[in-house]
Amino acid sequence: MTSRRDLLKSAVLGGGATVVAATALGSLGPEAAFAQSAPDVEPGTPDPNFAEGRIRTIKDNTLLVLGSNMVFHNIRIVDGTSLWKLGPVPFDEAKPGDGLYARGVLMPDGVLAAESVWLNIVNIKGHITNITDRTLHLDHNGQEVLCHVVAGKSVAVHSESPPTADLSMLKVAQHVQILGAWRPDTNEVDIATVFSPH
Amino acid sequence: MHGIAATQPYVIALFLVWAGLAKLFSRRMRARAGQTALARLVGAARAVPALRLTGLVELAVAAALLVPPLSPWDVAAAALLSAGFLAYLAYAYVAAPTSSCGCLGAHSRPVDLRAFARAGLLLAASLLAVPADPHPPIVALGLAEAVVLMALSAELDRHWLTPLRRLIVRLRRPLALPPSEHVPLGASLHLLYRSPAYCSASAQLTSDVQDTWDEDGLRFVVYGARERTAVFAIPLAGNDPSAVLVTLVGS
Repeated sequence: MTSRRDLLKSAVLGGGATVVAATALGSLGPEAAFAQSAPDVEPGTPDPNFAEGRIRTIKDNTLLVLGSNMVFHNIRIVDGTSLWKLGPVPFDEAKPGDGLYARGVLMPDGVLAAESVWLNIVNIKGHITNITDRTLHLDHNGQEVLCHVVAGKSVAVHSESPPTADLSMLKVAQHVQILGAWRPDTNEVDIATVFSPH
Repeated sequence: MHGIAATQPYVIALFLVWAGLAKLFSRRMRARAGQTALARLVGAARAVPALRLTGLVELAVAAALLVPPLSPWDVAAAALLSAGFLAYLAYAYVAAPTSSCGCLGAHSRPVDLRAFARAGLLLAASLLAVPADPHPPIVALGLAEAVVLMALSAELDRHWLTPLRRLIVRLRRPLALPPSEHVPLGASLHLLYRSPAYCSASAQLTSDVQDTWDEDGLRFVVYGARERTAVFAIPLAGNDPSAVLVTLVGS
């Protein structure tokens, strides 16, 4: 890991630029751009390269996931797969019961080789009914959601200002949008980002 | 009962007058009638007439309670109305769990334990008022009951509960942090997303963050980019998106 990190570090600091040169991206012809953006999914049909659901079992590097439409997905985690659970996490953080969204490439054997997996990610809007002991009580369509501030992870974005780890500007009764990680089978969420309109 | 029974009609009447006036004259409440459980019960088109009719019945019962002499029929009507409120709340809780009750004013909170407790207290007060009581009403008891009923009213929360909670938050500062040098990854990623470096490479990215570490005042963030790897170097201090560096490394 360290040698790989050293390699990547020297690459970005040695040849790093503030933009990627177009030649680094392959063909410069306009057809390449169209090829990139051409949708390969028929409108109204499910995207084969996407899966969602909850993890039933984990066997070796494959997750068996039951989708909300009761369809099973086999999702393979490979070396290059990114996993998110309130931040980048190693594979052993994925647990049966976790909800997930996965994006990758559907292999001919029906297994989705995942490029990115987001575990328990939620994006909820509501207003703060109370603030107690590092917890926001959020009223989301009449349901109470307890949103926990996680030291070192949670940030607040007030309007257009840069994100801050200090969440003490949040007020009771104000409206917020919270991006976070659900604690499975509870009404509780760990906060990644709180977006506040002011 | 020494005045306890004689106190109840005033308490009940106070709440019925409030509820009736709100239903008859609150424009906001009429506008929101479609979102109450009443709309579910009688149909959205009849929600406003049903609301007005309920308001009239509430005012009539309140008038009967306030105008002497107090007959057992007046009290029975109040008890019946309170029992009706409870039945309606139970219906709302089961049939329209996300709708508000539309009881005493416009708000969007669905029926909860407090709404049941308030209707239950009104019913209990109606039943307590049944025996004839020659004693004068007990003002302190009436005020205490009214305060409890108001505390159970979600409609009034913004006038006392929200300011009280804000005051407690200001005094206790439950979200205050000890000063820390650590920059959360989320903060670095927000800077990254606004950088020219990310804009130029984002079309190539195929994964979310694969790896991240801090070194020499920079935060390195690694993404998968098809068969290559995208590496970003984000300054830990400062807010200048153009200082973010990027490179694509073949694997």
